[in-house]
Amino acid sequence: MNRFEVEQDPKSRDTYYLNMGPQHPSTHGVMRIKLHLDGERIISAEPIIGYGHRAHEKMAENRDYIQFLPNPSRVDYLGGMIYNVGYCQAVERAMDIEVPERAEYIRIVCNELNRISSHLLWLGTFLMDLGAFTPFLYAFDDREKILDILDRITGSRLTYCYARFGGVILDIDDVFLDNVSNFCTYFVERLKEYEKLVIGNVIFRERTIGVGIFAPDLAQKYAITGPCLRAMGHENDVRKDEPYGIYDRFDFDVPTQTEGDCFARTLVRMEEMRQSIRIIEQAVSDMPNGLFLAARVPRRIRPPEGDYYFCVESPRGSFGMYIASDGSDIPFRLKLRTPSFSHISAMPAVMASTMLADAVAILGSIDIVVPEIDR
Amino acid sequence: MALIKEILDGTKTLLTGMKVTLDNFRKPPVTSQYPMEKIEMSEAFRNVIVLIEKEDIGSHDCIDCKLCERVCPSFCIYLDGERPEGLRRKRSTKFEVDFALCSDCGLCLDVCPTDTLGYSKVHDEAGYNRSDFLYDLLEPWADKEEAARERLKEIEAEQAAERARKAAARKAKKVRREK
Repeated sequence: MNRFEVEQDPKSRDTYYLNMGPQHPSTHGVMRIKLHLDGERIISAEPIIGYGHRAHEKMAENRDYIQFLPNPSRVDYLGGMIYNVGYCQAVERAMDIEVPERAEYIRIVCNELNRISSHLLWLGTFLMDLGAFTPFLYAFDDREKILDILDRITGSRLTYCYARFGGVILDIDDVFLDNVSNFCTYFVERLKEYEKLVIGNVIFRERTIGVGIFAPDLAQKYAITGPCLRAMGHENDVRKDEPYGIYDRFDFDVPTQTEGDCFARTLVRMEEMRQSIRIIEQAVSDMPNGLFLAARVPRRIRPPEGDYYFCVESPRGSFGMYIASDGSDIPFRLKLRTPSFSHISAMPAVMASTMLADAVAILGSIDIVVPEIDR
Repeated sequence: MALIKEILDGTKTLLTGMKVTLDNFRKPPVTSQYPMEKIEMSEAFRNVIVLIEKEDIGSHDCIDCKLCERVCPSFCIYLDGERPEGLRRKRSTKFEVDFALCSDCGLCLDVCPTDTLGYSKVHDEAGYNRSDFLYDLLEPWADKEEAARERLKEIEAEQAAERARKAAARKAKKVRREK
């Protein structure tokens, strides 16, 4: 049977199949979920992915390490900076390239700004899935402020190709630092407003509390990471557990909740934005002078023969890169481990025996980015 | 009783939300009216690459080294060049960019040995088909090419004289040491 056809079970006339997607607004891209419904209750859900597949991993095997630089930010277009910097850090660690202090601090500031902008977009679209339109506009207004700040130094607004092996492409100036500090003071106030508007709201609470609970054994079965895991009560953050870059120098907390439902995930992400602001404030106040790009970067990037694994904390979870190098300047294999893929595989278990309207809330709350699932 | 309490609490949270909305309603609008209002592009803004003028040459300084063509991940730069008579360096005779394929990664700017590549500051380009985005970067410099080659000959003659002077000095030093 063709997998694009929807089968009808002749024995049970009361249940039916429904396609959510591929172009459903709440799937945030092209992804299809085949729902088996009994009235409005979901009997089973099967995510069908691959509509936005662009073969990033195969592309890596056909171009050298430098030419792959624009790709990671296109794997996840919302956390482009984090993926771009993460890829650079992976190759730097494989080749032992020294990165100047200033470049490390610039990367931290840009990473955390990017994390906030990603969480803001999630907040807006998640609440729009639940039917709230106003927070979407506020979140996009604030996100625009971050994009303007980053646009000034990186030259792009979404798919930054800002980091290079050994540093970053352009130096920052005092205006940028002023912009960032102004944004931090503005945004801390703004977060309180969001909390007043959203967290206390009775409709929001009714739609999210107790909805989409991740069972405790699910985390290990499906390799759940990031805010979804922290909402289940595990204090797990790559920035704390295996600090990469210079994250070990900053003082920040890993927010956790214990319930593991949509509401807990919202709270975790809200608190994470506050922690990101803390990191940015520390990084801006300690910003050293010096080079922004290492003076001695090898012209040909050839990691020594062997296997390397490096993972960073993306806004959605742990993003890992597995580089198998055969000593040439083209990767033998580059596997990208993306968090959204793990989270979407857990959907059949989470969505079973919930209501149809809750499926939309669950999908929104795990913050999926479809190009990242397909990559 | 519990129901009444729930209703009252719910109404209170709704009113809190509405107050936030009302506060924002009084703030000035954040939208910029784009076609009527022109938006300033940042210094680092990336668009299609252009050849930058070098002051001493009076034109671009593309030497057809093909490094940008080789590093481009989208293979969207097409180069060709010739070695003009009486010149040590090459000059490009064709520099085309298929902007429909370009991903604005900026790797070509990184590798350019003469730093003659930069970004265009035009941000609102549109076309009806893909061939509209095949840019010929040499077109703006076509009428300056003759003068630039003459100027380059002078520069290279100066450089050659400098090299000869240095070589002579080295030789004299060597002769002195041998004595």
